[in-house]
Amino acid sequence: MLLSPNRMGGGRFVLYTIGALVMAFLLLPIIFIAALSFGDSRWLQFPPPGWTLQWYRDVLYDPRWIDSILVSAKVGLVVMVLAVLLGLPASFAVVRGRFFGREVLRAFFISPMIVPLVILAIALYGFFLRVGVNGSFLGFVAGHLVIALPFSIICISNALETFDESIERAAVICGASPAQAIWRITLPSIRSGILAGALFSFLASWDEVVIGIFLASPELQTLPVRMWSTLRNDLTPVVAAVSTLLIAMTIVILAVVAIIRRDRAR
Amino acid sequence: MSGRAPCVVSLRNLVKRFGATTAVDNVSLDVGEGEFLTFLGSSGSGKTTTLFIVAGFEDPTSGDVLVDGVSILDVPPHLRNIGMVFQRYTLFPHLSVFENVAFPLSVRRKPKAEIEAAVTDVLRLVRLETYADRRPNQLSGGQQQRVALARALVYRPRFLLMDEPLAALDKRLREEIQGEIRRIHQETGVTVLYVTHDQEEALRLSDRIAVFSHGRIEQIGTGSDLYNAPRSAFVGGFIGNSNFISCTVAEGGNDRCAIRMPSGQICAIRGSSPMATGQLVSLMIRPERIGLSTTASQAGPDCAIKVRICEATFLGESVSYKVTTEWGQSLAIREITGKSQDVPLNSGVDAYARWHSADTHIFAT
Ligand SMILES: Nc1ncnc2c1ncn2[C@@H]1O[C@H](COP(=O)(O)OP(=O)(O)OP(=O)(O)O)[C@@H](O)[C@H]1O
Ligand SMILES: [Mg+2]
Repeated sequence: MLLSPNRMGGGRFVLYTIGALVMAFLLLPIIFIAALSFGDSRWLQFPPPGWTLQWYRDVLYDPRWIDSILVSAKVGLVVMVLAVLLGLPASFAVVRGRFFGREVLRAFFISPMIVPLVILAIALYGFFLRVGVNGSFLGFVAGHLVIALPFSIICISNALETFDESIERAAVICGASPAQAIWRITLPSIRSGILAGALFSFLASWDEVVIGIFLASPELQTLPVRMWSTLRNDLTPVVAAVSTLLIAMTIVILAVVAIIRRDRAR
Repeated sequence: MSGRAPCVVSLRNLVKRFGATTAVDNVSLDVGEGEFLTFLGSSGSGKTTTLFIVAGFEDPTSGDVLVDGVSILDVPPHLRNIGMVFQRYTLFPHLSVFENVAFPLSVRRKPKAEIEAAVTDVLRLVRLETYADRRPNQLSGGQQQRVALARALVYRPRFLLMDEPLAALDKRLREEIQGEIRRIHQETGVTVLYVTHDQEEALRLSDRIAVFSHGRIEQIGTGSDLYNAPRSAFVGGFIGNSNFISCTVAEGGNDRCAIRMPSGQICAIRGSSPMATGQLVSLMIRPERIGLSTTASQAGPDCAIKVRICEATFLGESVSYKVTTEWGQSLAIREITGKSQDVPLNSGVDAYARWHSADTHIFAT
């Protein structure tokens, strides 16, 4: 490599410093929150005067928090399943299809990633009010599905693009019907892409807050929405504890995705 | 093929157009029982398209494909009972070698014991019985193609299609697996439609070769037919090495006629087809059919032209010469060592290149 760190002499220490600063910039808020969640100061004093698990106990003994965690998990899981079920045929269409406007359709499928979330949220709010699903489980699923689908379609269509169609043809000439070939050969071959798409879809719903704020009702609040509304009334370390749980969950899921990726690369 | 038994595969006036390009242009041929027939042609000549029409992955624009005398165009590919080996590696990546080969039988819902026996047999046929538990990515390219061949044979298809199965392999491996393919063809007696752009491979494997050019079959016949009696300059140039000399007909005729070489010299040739005086033709001679001598007056040859030796390469069983004619064209000549008593000629020496009229081929240009 021309630009190898070993050849840069003193220059590389500048590079290392910049790298360390960027990492600190990204990690400090997370470390800060995690530290506060274990601190025993009710007023979020930093550094914490002492350590406690009090706030975690508060979360786990408060049915409203447990409720929200369950709501978020349920919405996330349903969104994940639907995003894959819809993402699969959509990916086949944009990768394998030979029709006019295919590229436009592909861009359209990922457009929820580009449209500002607030605008999306307001539009969904107006529409859901009209059809009467605001504040319902269905409303949350539908709203989150909109932002989850691009993740699922990108992951699955990338996997499908690297899968050689000749392999599917080989299965067909061996006697498998097109449906059998896709079910027994193509889908298992792109399963890591499907799994990554599923996990990213879950995450997209799991930590979504903007649409959630618009759609939430007093009875039905996802975890991020409850955090936000709690924070508005009261700055409490309980929120730090919930945040830390949320972050831990996200890290676990991303780690799973990374492991799948590495397995596939092998 | 005679009209008695229907041929295994018959192509009837197949045409395939993609927009403005005609990929397959009026192809007709018959493949007999147990025959190994090869499509030989350069890149883009329509070989794969023809094979894909037979397999059912493409629909012809017009024409018909018959198997045992019955059209199969309305049969979907998975019910055609054809075996196929592809140019690219197409093993199922998530299945073991055994499961790959078992796949065609498992979609046919065969009993487990039967599958086990058949897979073991066919893996032994391709000499990979000890690799049954491996994954495709743990196999070399040659082994992968042998597994693909086993997978295509295990359900005893009516015939086998092979689309450049060795193109991705290096030369040594290619020759080794050509031997395997020949052995397997002899042992199983399966009818094969094979595609390659490597003439040596075609000659080594095939009973008959169909030379493809621009979607058309230029000529179809055994390797020696194509080599000894090419019907067009294209086939002559494609199979084996050859020299082409542009000439004009000096004296037309049906039986024997004479042509004028670029130097103005007149040579008698064997008239293959009626030619009009003054017509432009191309004279083809194989390098090994040209003899070299230091004098023009030796007995036998019908034609001798003056040349200068440019390059002489000793190759053991033969000497390869590059010579220049009076009109500046370069010719290749190959002399078997020990046939003539002459010592190899050195470069820079003047000599006579001579040939029998029976060894020449004339093509209209
Ligand atoms: N799906 C397609 N759409 C448009 N043109 C095509 C398509 N498939 C093939 N062609 C064209 O048809 C012609 C024949 O292609 P084909 O793949 O049959 O050639 P081939 O003899 O197999 O060549 P190769 O040795 O490179 O594999 C080419 O000009 C190719 O560009
Ligand atoms: Mg091809």
